[in-house]
Amino acid sequence: MEKIKLENVSKKFKLSFQAREGFLYRVLEMLGKKDKQREVFWGIKNISLSVGSGEIVGVIGRNGSGKSTLLRVIAGVYQKNGGEITTLGESIYINGVSHGLRSKLTMRENIFLIGAVLGLSQKNTAKIFDQVVEFSDLKDYLDVKLVKFSSGMIIRLAYSITIHSILNREAEIILLDEVFSTSGDIFFQEKSLGKIAELQSKQKAIIIASHDLNLIENYCQRVIWLEGGKIIKQGEPHEVIKSYQKFYQENENKLIVGS
Amino acid sequence: MRLSFSLAKTDFKLKNEGSFLGMFWYLLEPILLLTLLYAVFSRSLGGQIEAYPLYLLLGLIIFNFFSHTTTEAAGAILNNAELIKSSNFPREALVISIIIKRLYSHLFEMIIFTGFLIFLGFNPFWLLLYPAILFFLVLFVLGLSLLLSVINIYFIDMANIWGFACQLLWFATPIFYSDQLPVPFKSLNPLSYFISASRKIVIYHQIADLKNLAVIVLGSLISVLIGFFFFNFFKKDFAENI
Repeated sequence: MEKIKLENVSKKFKLSFQAREGFLYRVLEMLGKKDKQREVFWGIKNISLSVGSGEIVGVIGRNGSGKSTLLRVIAGVYQKNGGEITTLGESIYINGVSHGLRSKLTMRENIFLIGAVLGLSQKNTAKIFDQVVEFSDLKDYLDVKLVKFSSGMIIRLAYSITIHSILNREAEIILLDEVFSTSGDIFFQEKSLGKIAELQSKQKAIIIASHDLNLIENYCQRVIWLEGGKIIKQGEPHEVIKSYQKFYQENENKLIVGS
Repeated sequence: MRLSFSLAKTDFKLKNEGSFLGMFWYLLEPILLLTLLYAVFSRSLGGQIEAYPLYLLLGLIIFNFFSHTTTEAAGAILNNAELIKSSNFPREALVISIIIKRLYSHLFEMIIFTGFLIFLGFNPFWLLLYPAILFFLVLFVLGLSLLLSVINIYFIDMANIWGFACQLLWFATPIFYSDQLPVPFKSLNPLSYFISASRKIVIYHQIADLKNLAVIVLGSLISVLIGFFFFNFFKKDFAENI
C-alpha cells in the first residue's frame, strides 16, 4: 500500500526575500521593487516518487541538492509550489537530533520536554522513559543538568529520546533528515542502527536522507539520488550509490574548477 | 495542547532556576510598583478613589498579564526558528505555552491580591466571578499574541514597537488614576474595559454595566478570530521565512 505519493512536486524559494528585516526595509523594498528582479531558486523540481508501508527509501546527494527540502515538503513544513502530494496518515519529520534540548534542565526533564515536542503525551513519555535511559546508558545522570554533559552524552541522550519517540508515535510516515549521522561511538552507532529495523517492522513508510552511504546501502530498499533538485537516478541501493560515487570521482576536478 | 503545557512547564522551571528567591522575584515586581505608586499618588490622583490600594493592585496585575504575555509572545515564532525548521509539531503551541505560563504567574499574583483583599476587610467571595472576565481576557490576549508573533516575522522591529506601545498604553489605561478621568482615546483602549469591569465586580461588588461587558465579549472574540485567521494563513510559510 502506498503511503506517500508525489507527482511532479516542486518547491521554489524567493531569494529576494530577506528574513528578519524591519518596517523601514520593507517599505524601501516595496518602493524599489520595479527595477529589482524577483530571483527564484527551485529547491526541488518535478519530483515524482512513491513509498509503500514497510519500505525504507534513502535519499542521497550533495549539500544543497534538495534532500531536506524534499522531506520538508512531504511533511508540510514547507508549502509546495506545484504538483500533487498524497499522504496516508500522520507524518513526523525530524532534522538532526539535538534541537530543543535545554541545557539548564536535568536529563529527566529534558526527556519529557522532547517527548512532548515529538508528539508524545506525558503518559506515553513515562512509558518509554526507562527504555530511553537504558538505551542512552546514562542511568547515573538522571538528575544532572545538561550543562554538565559532554557533547557525546548529549548526542546519546538526544538520539535515544528521538528514536524512542518515533517508535511510539502513531505516525505512519517517518521522514528522517540526517538523524543517524552523529550518533556517537561505533558501539552506540551500531545499537542505533538496529532501531531502523524495528521501525521497519512496524510497517511504516520511511524516508531517510543521509550522507552516510553505508547506512543507506544497508537499510534502504530503494535509493534516490538528487542533484540540483532533480532525481538523477533511482533504484537498487548498490547500483545508485555506485554511480553516485563514480560520477563525483570523475567530476571532482571539474567541480573544483567550476566552483 | 499538551505540547503547550509541557513547554509552559519547562519555561516556568527555567525562569525560576538559578535564583534564590525563585518565583518571589516576579511577585516582588507588582508589590514594589504598588508601594511606589501608592506612596506617590495616594493623596493626589488616588485621593478620591475608594479602596485605592486594591484599585491600584488589581489594575497593575491585569495590565502586567497583558503586557508581559503579548511582548513575550511577539517573539515566539522567530525565537524558535531552529525548532520550527527541524520538526513538524503544531506551531500554535509556541504561543499558547507562553499564555499558560503567564496565566500561572497571574494566578500567584491574584493570590497576593486576595490576601490584601481579606486583610483590608473585603468580602473575597466576589472574586469567584473574576474567572469569567479572565476567560475573555485570555482570549483577547491569545488573539493579539498570535497576530503579533506573525507580524514579527515580516517586520522584526515589531517587538520593539510593541514594547513601546505597551509603555504608552500603561499611561493611557486607568491604572493609577480614576477611570472617570477624560483620557484621550479612552473608549478605544480595550484594556480599560477589562480592568474597569474587574474592579467593579471584585472590589466594589457591583455587576459591571452591560455596555462594558459587551465590549469585553465582542472584543475578545474578534481578537481571537483575527489572531487564528492570520496565524493559520501564514503558518505554512513560517519555516522558509524565519
